[in-house]
Amino acid sequence: MPRTDVLIIGAGLAGQRAALAAASAGASVAIVSKVHPVRSHSVAAAGGINAALDPGDSWESHAFDTIKGSDYLGDQHAIEIMCRAAPDEILWLEHAGVTFHRGEGGRLGTRAFGGASAARTYYVADITGQAILHVLYEQLMKHHAVVDRYEEWFTTELLLDDDGRCSGAIARDIRSGHLDLFDAKTTILASGGAGQVFKPTTNALICTGDGIAQAYRIGASLMDMEMVQYHPTTLAENGFLITEGARGEGAQLFNAAGERFMERYAPNKLELASRDVVSRAEQTEIDEGRGFPDGTIALDITKVPRKRTLEALREIVNIGRDFAGVDITREPIHIKPGMHYMMGGVKADVDGRTDVPGLYAVGEVACLSVHGGNRLGANSLLDTLIFGRRAGEHAAEHALGRRAPRAPAAKLRDAQAEIDAILAREPSAGSRRIAALKDELGTTMNEHVAVYRDADGLATAHAIVRRLKEQAPRAAIDDRGTVFNQDVLAAFELSYMLDVAEAIVVAAQERRESRGAQFRTDYPRRDDDAWLHHITISRNGDGEPSTGSAPVTITRWQPQERTY
Amino acid sequence: MRVAYWPGCVSRGFTPELHGSMAAVAPLLDIELVPLDRAACCGAGVIAEHNPELADTLNARTFALAQQVDGAELMMNICSTCQGAQAECQQRLDADDDYRARVNATLARAEPGLSYERGLTNKNLLWLLVEEIGLETLRAKVRRPLTDLRVGPFYGCYIVRPRERVGIDAEHPRDTYLQLVIEALGGTVIDYAGTYKCCGFPIVTTNKHASLRQAGRHLADAQEAEADCLVVPCPLCHLNLDLQQPAAARELGRPLAMPVLHLPQLLGLALGLSPKQLALQKHVVRPTSVIDWSAAVVGAPA
Amino acid sequence: MADYTLRVRRFDPDDHQGPYWQEFAVALEPHRSLLEALLAVKGEQDGSLALRCSCRAAICGSCGVRAGGRARLACNTHLERVADADGAIVVEPMGNMPVIKDLVVDMDAVHWKKIHRVTPWLLPEAPEPEREHLVPHAAMVDVTQTMACIQCGACVSDCLSLEVDPEFVGPAASAKAYRFVGDPRDGAQEQRLRDLAEDEHGIYDCTHCFSCIDACPKGVAPMDQIMRLRRIAGVDHEIVDHNNGERHEEAFATLIHDYGLLHEAELLPRSYGGNSWFGKFHPAAGLELVESLPAIAKAVLRGKVKPGQALRGHRLARGDLDAVHAIYDAVEAGAPSERERVAARDGGGQS
Repeated sequence: MPRTDVLIIGAGLAGQRAALAAASAGASVAIVSKVHPVRSHSVAAAGGINAALDPGDSWESHAFDTIKGSDYLGDQHAIEIMCRAAPDEILWLEHAGVTFHRGEGGRLGTRAFGGASAARTYYVADITGQAILHVLYEQLMKHHAVVDRYEEWFTTELLLDDDGRCSGAIARDIRSGHLDLFDAKTTILASGGAGQVFKPTTNALICTGDGIAQAYRIGASLMDMEMVQYHPTTLAENGFLITEGARGEGAQLFNAAGERFMERYAPNKLELASRDVVSRAEQTEIDEGRGFPDGTIALDITKVPRKRTLEALREIVNIGRDFAGVDITREPIHIKPGMHYMMGGVKADVDGRTDVPGLYAVGEVACLSVHGGNRLGANSLLDTLIFGRRAGEHAAEHALGRRAPRAPAAKLRDAQAEIDAILAREPSAGSRRIAALKDELGTTMNEHVAVYRDADGLATAHAIVRRLKEQAPRAAIDDRGTVFNQDVLAAFELSYMLDVAEAIVVAAQERRESRGAQFRTDYPRRDDDAWLHHITISRNGDGEPSTGSAPVTITRWQPQERTY
Repeated sequence: MRVAYWPGCVSRGFTPELHGSMAAVAPLLDIELVPLDRAACCGAGVIAEHNPELADTLNARTFALAQQVDGAELMMNICSTCQGAQAECQQRLDADDDYRARVNATLARAEPGLSYERGLTNKNLLWLLVEEIGLETLRAKVRRPLTDLRVGPFYGCYIVRPRERVGIDAEHPRDTYLQLVIEALGGTVIDYAGTYKCCGFPIVTTNKHASLRQAGRHLADAQEAEADCLVVPCPLCHLNLDLQQPAAARELGRPLAMPVLHLPQLLGLALGLSPKQLALQKHVVRPTSVIDWSAAVVGAPA
Repeated sequence: MADYTLRVRRFDPDDHQGPYWQEFAVALEPHRSLLEALLAVKGEQDGSLALRCSCRAAICGSCGVRAGGRARLACNTHLERVADADGAIVVEPMGNMPVIKDLVVDMDAVHWKKIHRVTPWLLPEAPEPEREHLVPHAAMVDVTQTMACIQCGACVSDCLSLEVDPEFVGPAASAKAYRFVGDPRDGAQEQRLRDLAEDEHGIYDCTHCFSCIDACPKGVAPMDQIMRLRRIAGVDHEIVDHNNGERHEEAFATLIHDYGLLHEAELLPRSYGGNSWFGKFHPAAGLELVESLPAIAKAVLRGKVKPGQALRGHRLARGDLDAVHAIYDAVEAGAPSERERVAARDGGGQS
């Protein structure tokens, strides 16, 4: 039974950064990940990371852009912290070895990105997430003596002691099937988002909302769950992401008539308006018949000089070639809005604390909120690192001097029994396959809870989610073995996804307003008087999730009309 | 057809039987060989490792000399390593106009009037057989079908990888040519694990054990698959597979007796030449001591 | 839609049986990926088929498998490219690594062990600058090639040196080593190179077969990085390793200068004994010559090689040799270091 000061669940950017920070602060650290750390979905983040590092820039400008981008749902004190801390974080990364692009005189160089009033996105070609994630992992390898890594261990539940404090987690070694109980003085959830709830999605297959559901089940509130970002440029067939960096380099969007339609929707920022604005523009073009027959819009990257494309957009060249059969240096690539990111998540404060004592949440799994109703490109990488570090430091400090919890062995036995029950599932007449249930969930969400929503669609989605929740516990299991049994894990993931889906739908139903990424055709206006607050979701026994609200913190930027 | 012929270094050094059999076989295939006697070593990848521009310039000179051969349709080599090493240099030269101009400037200073023009066609004998001469024509020229001869193809790394540079695609399935040629000559292709693997020659001075273990393994695999012989289009592979075969057997700790033929020798046998004319007796692992030629090669000699 | 048969090499340690083949029929459009086909099998037919996968977009590096005998990512392998005429696709776990179950291999035991071997973190020169290190644009673009490695293991799977020498440091780790050697901020360039040059299973153990270049889905070209490491070690740092690597390279270059053509009989002793005519008298060369005596004797006996000619080697004609010398003088003398070559790739500075 491993015992540790700080237990971190999830080894993406937020988790790894928290681990390094906690270890630096002198705590014992264990980091658990259901995949090898470099497979975490942070690896797919492409375009870059924002910081007002340039002397001509200011953190206030970065903060304002972020707040405006959030459609004023972002908590400004958290955003201030993030934007102020950004420049130092970039330098910390550079010192650790990140191979950032360079400009004049060998200094760090920037590129333009969506929703930003100045070029402040630092990058490594179009593999920024990968470059940072791999460098963080290099540091974890270097500090292997102080950070214990549990790679390919699947967390099945968070533990609550009798005082209502999170005391650690139970996790399964995927390789051997061995289940173990982790006693931890503090637990940091960094398990990412839940893109697989939607189909298609840019997100990886591992993004099944595990942490969101696990926290929810032990009583943590979720916040802003209705805020789901649809990224403007994803491949129609499989949802793959074409980085915003392409538009940052000068790529343009055209409808089937060859019109650069963003001139109508965002005359100033054009293709670099905030993502929700661009996605809605595209969706409108498509819905009103000006898209291509396959329901797409053209992204023309031939506008970027070829040499630049080959240097700074290598990944998209590969994606275009491998997945769309297109040479992006010679012809436009067809895209449409696709589900990409969850602004919402486990409610946490600026040190990552959730409302369950001892439990922290950082990164995409959390909602502080720094992204409010819509996240700016290149702010997610920043979010994970700033708050990952803060949570790591805070958890370490908090752990020192505390007594280590000791969860009763019965909890482990119960967890094993749960798994044994899954393994013992008999096929029955009504049991559907897990993949089929996942498919139906994703398609439903993408149809009714996407760029444009309304009450009827949301109600339909809700009913379907409830039905799927009934069917899920009987889903067929083929693998009865112990070694690398992915079937059992898929059963867990399905149940997490359904909890998350329900929370999203309920929150979307609750917010009778359009703001940021949520656009309701039956409530098309933004209404600050009635709706300038966060919507929270908490578990209510086995019944419907209950809704609540939390205030938005406003420091110095009063909400304004939002145009680009 | 007339070709600018680059015989390579080793065919004139430690594998003279290759050089001789190519000369014997060329007229039977209606190939007129115009040897590039003035050209230097291709570098075998080692000079490129040491100084890429040096390798590129030496080979640019070879290409330029080839381009000066009147009426030559293309340049031809008889060595997988030359093919690969030269192709790598040519790729760099062809890709960058400024770089090529710079290399040509060096050439001009070294030898006025010499200049490499982008886009030379350089083919190994194996490719020439299939793409220029054609399998049908080859089949028609066979005088002694290699019936009952079980042949294991061994390509040599430089002629099958990297796929893109080598030019393997649907129209040019160059990684099947050896098999196609063996069959066109009437032989039986033996499928065994080593066909596309490495003979180990590049590391024979830096890790002899690993080098011989590679050669030994592929020979042993061919032996287990009951091949009568291997055929290789590369003399460096031939050295590690034939000259070093006794050492490879010692390294592996098992007996090996697998004759290794150069491609022109296999061609020559099928086209009617005698083993003596093809200098098969110069091999360390003598084919005549392993194969019962009267049974393996059916049909009257030419 | 087209019909495909996936012939999968399976193994379940729980059933104590050993590996076996199982066939699955799948109907999908030809441009779809092998991963989609495998997931269709997992989702609809047999959930016990174990494979690693995550991003589906060739960036996470999880889904390395061997399809049609070659290592690749399942997610960016199109079905039509890898199926044979009958629509059959052979799918196996990656090579050179122990199999845990079905298509899942033990990357820790081989791949990650070798990555650890090359000290895979930046060793910056002290003191740290207050702001960022100033680094030439071209240098960062250069190491981005090796930074692009997604640690998928395909190169390790297909490495032919690893097949016969499991201790070889391998292509992935070598590429990772270049990522640091090529990074101007790293202060340990010489130590890294010396370490990998002197290791018997280090950079001179690569058999130059290009398999890793073909296998890599990201254009990292590990073998090219190994050649660069050799160049930087031997030429720029003049590290003369005991594996004969640097001597072999130097001797080859010198012999082509002096003869224009390869002089095999000189190359062998010089690789062992040093790059001069006297190299053959060095004990190491002597030992090697004695070991090679049987092979040499056989060659002479067969008439393959005439001793006199072998010892003399063959030379290009005078005029041609002069041209070769002129080329060497122009290109070899004063050749830039690898770092200078990289810096010269663009004006340096503005993107």
